[in-house]
Amino acid sequence: MKTLKQPFDSIEVFNVVSDIYSQAITGELIGMSKFASLAETIDDPYEKMEAVEHADSERQHAEGFMAYAKKNNLNININLEGSYWKRVREQFLKYAGRKDFIACVIIQEVMLEAFAISMYTDAGNALGGPSKKLFLSIAEEEKEHMHHSVDLLQEEMNKDPEGFINKFEEIHFDCMTILSEFSATTDLKGHCGVCNGECMKSSLHHVGLNVDRLRGNAMALYARALDTIGIPGEKSIVWIARLPA
Amino acid sequence: MDRQAPGLDFAVIGHQDSWENIQSLINVMRTEALEALPVEKIKGIYSYIPPRAVFKMHVESPLGPSVNGVYIDSFIPPDHLDAAHLRSNIQKVREALGVAHRLGARMAILGGFTSILLEGNFEDFSSYGMVLTTGNTLTSSYVVKGIEKAARIHGTDLEASEVLIIGATGDIGSACARYLKGKVRKLLLCARNQKRLGMFAEKISTGGQEVRWSTNLDELTPDADLIISVASSSNIPVDRLKKSVVICDAGYPKNLEDRLDGDEAVHLFHGGMGHLTNGYVFDPDYTSDFYRYPFPHLGHGCIIEVILMALEGISHNYSFGKGNIRPESIDEMYALSLKHGIELAPFYNSEGIWPSTKKTHRYE
Repeated sequence: MKTLKQPFDSIEVFNVVSDIYSQAITGELIGMSKFASLAETIDDPYEKMEAVEHADSERQHAEGFMAYAKKNNLNININLEGSYWKRVREQFLKYAGRKDFIACVIIQEVMLEAFAISMYTDAGNALGGPSKKLFLSIAEEEKEHMHHSVDLLQEEMNKDPEGFINKFEEIHFDCMTILSEFSATTDLKGHCGVCNGECMKSSLHHVGLNVDRLRGNAMALYARALDTIGIPGEKSIVWIARLPA
Repeated sequence: MDRQAPGLDFAVIGHQDSWENIQSLINVMRTEALEALPVEKIKGIYSYIPPRAVFKMHVESPLGPSVNGVYIDSFIPPDHLDAAHLRSNIQKVREALGVAHRLGARMAILGGFTSILLEGNFEDFSSYGMVLTTGNTLTSSYVVKGIEKAARIHGTDLEASEVLIIGATGDIGSACARYLKGKVRKLLLCARNQKRLGMFAEKISTGGQEVRWSTNLDELTPDADLIISVASSSNIPVDRLKKSVVICDAGYPKNLEDRLDGDEAVHLFHGGMGHLTNGYVFDPDYTSDFYRYPFPHLGHGCIIEVILMALEGISHNYSFGKGNIRPESIDEMYALSLKHGIELAPFYNSEGIWPSTKKTHRYE
């Protein structure tokens, strides 16, 4: 059993913070390994370099979270085989296997980053102290990734709007379905395999968070990213409406 | 702000007024292949969705010209339509205007609660590069023309009548009062803010119009031959209504209807609505499950106003600010409505269309 350390007021807070960090570290490592895999499969040298750069960036984020967790003796569970993370990774690898760099960018830099940026921001603001600084600084870096990718995707959209929208729609249902099941009020497909003990969603109130707000803010950021890329609102609202809830 | 090449004639910015409507809309979007979502699950996500286009609109005038528009939902939840959420609602309306701007809309109507931004004169809207309106002029037209017509149908002499206006100091209520001034025996004015109501009543009474005013509906209701409600009608003392009273409810009639419980002596209709005799096309068309009117091709006056502005190429803000709607504008907008084949909607309520008006409309 871990010794309760400052700055955690109670064992409940310690447990939730441990789970939040476990999810963040697992998510970053999943991102790292996905881009590492992509770097292996794609041929274009520039895309290959970009994939390596992305992988390294995610590794650094994971290290940042791990350093804080170690310093504060958090109870960290890293599980790259956790059901939701594994399914997201499988979807990514499906497109990586097709050497589809754009699809991989959509999954990692729009869908997953929307959730990461939003949830890191909410978590950082709720946790305060050094965690706030860490989460918000990583969220800022993820924002830069997202902005860069949105520019790239706008160009793709302008080349062939109909084809791009159809492709995006397919990826949306492949990947956002999993993220929606994962972020629903209760995990729709069972335990994630990362949280220690029970799902942390029912304990988020101990650190001033709630799952509806986390999910809602993440979905809002995703919707805004779709708008910026140029996906018509009448399409994106239907895509969002058709997600599991 | 990026702006697409102009291609849209108008944008309608609005919101849903009940969770029941929202549930229908979301579940129509989900299709029957997916399980229908209960309201509670929809509530968990709805208010977070940023304003966005939901469907496109195409309207053709019988005279030939046609216009293309878009409906942009602000995604303001129906239980946030109050002063407590003013700041977040205004932010959502601004975002919705940004969407209209990006889509290249030449003009926009801020319907329902979203009109607060224009009525309140919160800012200079010139940066959006669009002509704006609340649509309140045509809504007022349909309300007053409706009450005139309903009075005729029921043999009520307007000139000899006492007309109660609930919400008399609001933009539509005050427009109705100014229009009816000199046309009725007495105006009974009701609103929540006593000071504002007193000042407004004094203005309306100039020139000899008989006016009585109160913030208490109990004091005015028993004398009313005709009632126009453009605010909440839920406080009307239904047991003190005159026999054969005619009520035009352009607010949220459901509450009053529930309390009237089918009282046949009370003739209530949903006001402020027009009928587009040439129809309209929505894409995607969610109306098969979502349309709640007992008659095809009905639309809110505010929305029709921007359609008329687009058809007529009106290039200046029309209904803007609060208390600026003149009787001449009401007649002008109504004339434009008729010119383009858009009539006063048939009288209807939750029981259906008034039997007395059925034969006058061709879709029966």
